[in-house]
Amino acid sequence: MSIVPPAVARQPWQMLIPLFVLIAFGAAVLFSAAGGNMQPFAQSHLIRFAVFFVMAIIITMFTRAAMKFLAYPVYIVILLLLVAVEAIGFVGGGSQRWLNLGFMQLQPSELMKPAIVLALAKFYDTLPIGMVGTWRALVPAGAIIAMPMALVLLQPDLGTSLALAFGGAAVMFLAGLPMRWFVMAGAAGAVAAPLAFFFGLQDYQRRRVTTFLDPESDPLGSGYHITQSKIAIGSGGLSGKGFNEGSQSHLNYLPEPHTDFVFATMAEEWGLLGGLVVIVIFALILRWGLSVALKSNDRFARLLAAGMVVTIFFYVAVNLMMVMGLAPVVGIPLPFMSHGGSSMLTNMICIGILMQVSKWNREAPRSGLTH
Amino acid sequence: MNVAALMAQDAPAVSPAIPSERVQLVTIRYRAVATARMRIVWVALGLAFFALLALVRIGTLGLSDHKTQAASLHQALLPTRGDITDRNGAPLARVFPAYALWYNPEALGDGGEPLVKSPEEVAAGLKRIFPDLDEAKTRAQLASGKSGYLRRRVLPEEANRVQELGELALEMPQETDRHYPQGSMAAHILGYVAADGHGRVGMEQVLDERLLDPSKRGEPVALSIDMRVQGALEDELQRGMKLVDATGGAGIVLDVDTGEVLALASLPEFDPNKIDAAGEANMFNRVTNQVYELGSTFKPLTVAAAIDSGSITSLSRRYSATPYRVQGHTVKDSHPMGASLNAPQMLIHSSNVVTGHIVDEMGAATLRNYMVQLGMNERPYIELPARGFPIWPSGDWQRIRAVTVGYGHGIAVTPLHLASAYAAMVNGGIWRPATLHMVKPGEAPRGRRVFKESTSSRMRQLLRLISKYGTGRSADATGYRVGGKTGSAEKPGAGGYQRSNLVSTFAAAFPMDRPRYVVVAMLDEPRGTVASSYQRTAAWNAAPIVGRLVPRVGPMLGVRPDEHRDVDISDLRAIVPEASE
Repeated sequence: MSIVPPAVARQPWQMLIPLFVLIAFGAAVLFSAAGGNMQPFAQSHLIRFAVFFVMAIIITMFTRAAMKFLAYPVYIVILLLLVAVEAIGFVGGGSQRWLNLGFMQLQPSELMKPAIVLALAKFYDTLPIGMVGTWRALVPAGAIIAMPMALVLLQPDLGTSLALAFGGAAVMFLAGLPMRWFVMAGAAGAVAAPLAFFFGLQDYQRRRVTTFLDPESDPLGSGYHITQSKIAIGSGGLSGKGFNEGSQSHLNYLPEPHTDFVFATMAEEWGLLGGLVVIVIFALILRWGLSVALKSNDRFARLLAAGMVVTIFFYVAVNLMMVMGLAPVVGIPLPFMSHGGSSMLTNMICIGILMQVSKWNREAPRSGLTH
Repeated sequence: MNVAALMAQDAPAVSPAIPSERVQLVTIRYRAVATARMRIVWVALGLAFFALLALVRIGTLGLSDHKTQAASLHQALLPTRGDITDRNGAPLARVFPAYALWYNPEALGDGGEPLVKSPEEVAAGLKRIFPDLDEAKTRAQLASGKSGYLRRRVLPEEANRVQELGELALEMPQETDRHYPQGSMAAHILGYVAADGHGRVGMEQVLDERLLDPSKRGEPVALSIDMRVQGALEDELQRGMKLVDATGGAGIVLDVDTGEVLALASLPEFDPNKIDAAGEANMFNRVTNQVYELGSTFKPLTVAAAIDSGSITSLSRRYSATPYRVQGHTVKDSHPMGASLNAPQMLIHSSNVVTGHIVDEMGAATLRNYMVQLGMNERPYIELPARGFPIWPSGDWQRIRAVTVGYGHGIAVTPLHLASAYAAMVNGGIWRPATLHMVKPGEAPRGRRVFKESTSSRMRQLLRLISKYGTGRSADATGYRVGGKTGSAEKPGAGGYQRSNLVSTFAAAFPMDRPRYVVVAMLDEPRGTVASSYQRTAAWNAAPIVGRLVPRVGPMLGVRPDEHRDVDISDLRAIVPEASE
């Protein structure tokens, strides 16, 4: 018998320890980004993590039945919140994405990311297996994705609406919809992308795309973000300039050093090694998430877990590609490192749900093909 | 069970029996689970692919040449290039911000005419501000619509007047310029900074990396030279050169104990503030790069070698002074000097014949060995990039070769070689490399011993004797105990030596009772003028330069004139009749 109490020993430490390391590392980077101060970034980063970690533990306690029961109501409530934001924005004049909750500004579109996965998991759970190849597997799910996407696009927030579409499509993919549909959708997207680029995007968004394709064409104008970010990462070299020594972030060359470009801030001071550590930690967390999905013993749990992994993954992938100059600049923060309440909330909900599924797996091990 | 019922509706009705439906359902479910797991694997693959992409990307960014120069605020406030000062901290080279006049046809930004007024009006306006402006050329440049410099340097008040022309296309970008506050002084030591921002010719080239290094350029670099001594040397050399209408001059003041160069001048000079074709023609350094046959100034070195090797045992020993033949060549003097001379008298009168006999007794190999020890067979030791290779007779020396080297012919070295050799001869016998860097007290290089202490001591007496009673009398500044030797060598030209073209040199050290500095002054192709009593030899042109220079620089270098002190030459008076009056 181990001296560690079983209640402690059975926690998913293979995920929690990398997560804590990442949060602490993120706090250190934010400490440096604030010029060597806990205020205003690092302290609130840690406090928010603590609060949302408690929330994640509470989420863990929900049973499978409760989650299934809550799936649609939660989705509808957040959809209404999105409408509310739109209405407030309309009344107040100008675009608005958030609701002020006092201690933080809540973006309902962020909450929608896990909610859409939950709703779709529930939908495909109730859908008979034999029908996954029919239109009945596609149309209601499409509606579940399209409604919040449309509302978010109206804000207008292209990045988040793409994230919602990606999360939803990932759940559809995992639910086993025919592969040819995805291939066809991909082909259609390839055709539609140029059309959307020329007719659908805002002027500033179009410029971001052209800039992404050739950032050096306008290094001081629209290519500024990417150029400075690449300089920051590149100037770190192998081991970085040292803690609190980053000139790109401290001298305000780097835009948003504490939110979207926190990875560049980190890489400048910690170099290639710091970047590798961050990527490896994300890989550990996401691998754990996928293993939870693989071990789960029913469709709902599996879709839920894999969907959460994909949601976190989308954040990480798009953010890293953006700061490394592989994707256009879209305002998507890096999970667990960027300073920001809403993204922390979303990602901790994802972590909480993954821990929840892990707990279900432990309590009711896979039992063959039965429900 | 409604699932099963739904399935039953869709499933092809092969058999109405429930067990068969069950089996089919199980198969479908089994496939669905397999598909679902495959899909998760697909996602995992996508994740892994992305992770790989991210790793490769951060690797290329992190290890590529994007590494920027670290530029902190502290560094931004540093000068763009380090200052150079003399040994006392007086500035010799520094950066200062300057304005240029740049024509930017796109400044108006509307794609139309680059200028508000016509090019003629603008060119005329600029001509009023800069009277030396080529108006037609400027007008053509303005009309062409091509960007470029109109002027490299503009004074602040001129900049204001250009602003008043009201043309946005006339821009005045701030640039940093290298400024040499002493003008052409020490130009050959300093060199200059070319348009590419890197140093040329002198210490600007040697120290280029150090002067540009952000971690070091905040600190000025102190050279060994003393600005006051340098100024005096250049002034006296210039004066002496003009008096005898020489084509060039070279001078050096060297610390005998450390090898530090206090002053080094090559004339005609150039102005590092303004590099033009005339300046470039003068960049050649006569002190370190040009080799000359330095003539009779080598005779003291020959005598020192003979004393040191034990070949001369008695200074009263007399040698025949009548011309004699060596291997088919006649060795003779400029004028008859009597039947015989001893070694001190030889130095006083500068006899080639007697030098020849001394070399013969010493042997060619011995002299050659001493010359090697004095560094005469390699480039001079100094930091400057331009260092001339001596014309050094290779292999074993024939007798005639050694004899001619003994009086400074058949071997060509730089004036710096000579100065370093004289330093070794008078400082107790230690040869040290010359340097333009300051040497901290006690950190002088150990050097190598060439002469014995006793030899050095004897040479001080002999050198003092020459400037007191011999050809160096006009260098004998009262109270400074100068000792030195003249040398007037015919320059080789087409068809042998040219009697009319001389290189006249005076190599000296002071004060002879405890030598501190070596001074070498050299004039290239001096002429006989009123000032030199129509003489062209060193006694009439090079020696007076040293005679005027030493009293000027002595006090600055801590050498006080004292008529009651001198090196003791009483033991030589008995054998040198010239000294007994």
